[in-house]
Amino acid sequence: MPRIPASLSSLDQVAAYVLSLAERAGLPPGLSDRLRLAADELATNIVVHGYGETGGEFAVEGGMDGESVWVRFEDDARPFDPRSGYRRPDYGLPFAQRRIGGLGVYLALTAVDGFTYRRVAGRNISTLRILRDGAHQNDQRSRAG
Amino acid sequence: MAFIATLSTGSGTATIRLAGELDAATAPEFHDAIDDAVATGAARLVIDASELTYIASAGLRALVFARQKVAEDVTISLVGVTEPVLKVIKMAGLDHGFDITGS
Repeated sequence: MPRIPASLSSLDQVAAYVLSLAERAGLPPGLSDRLRLAADELATNIVVHGYGETGGEFAVEGGMDGESVWVRFEDDARPFDPRSGYRRPDYGLPFAQRRIGGLGVYLALTAVDGFTYRRVAGRNISTLRILRDGAHQNDQRSRAG
Repeated sequence: MAFIATLSTGSGTATIRLAGELDAATAPEFHDAIDDAVATGAARLVIDASELTYIASAGLRALVFARQKVAEDVTISLVGVTEPVLKVIKMAGLDHGFDITGS
């Protein structure tokens, strides 16, 4: 896939790419939706928090193996580990007082079964992975109650 | 991305009908509709999401914004929520803040 502009208007392109990958991989709709959500949130993070006003380009590629489907983002924005923004929603707080920063990262990391981040030669490389059978995620959800 | 937010009012109710995909690129349009709905002073806000096929965190933030923006005694109802959208609302733990009915 070619490099794409770090702009919110590129989110459509990312979604189309990931949904097409998911279809080729034969993922059922529920898993396909989760991969798309996570990819959308990560791409949004790169655009908004990575490049911000300066703009730039990022690359997205994906693939599959026997047990999983993966999507990888690469950008040369400032060092930015998406996990640093991770914060679980505070379910105990009254709704009107909820702080919802970090929600995108929370959704992205909750939606997929695996996430890795590396900073290599001035590039941020984030990889999302979803298991074809979704077993791991379901386990996590039931534990989270 | 195809997204439309349409506001209509009547009988003390403001209704925002959402159609398409609500992500970071389209959320500002929803924000504007919420502002307009709040300005009507309606006692009830209905968000018709029956044609909303996707929601990202930016859309959820707009929902929370709506809850925080309207007076406490104003009810916010989400109606016609599709399964994929409901899953994301639940994943974020926001399903208890609204009166939600599915499609």
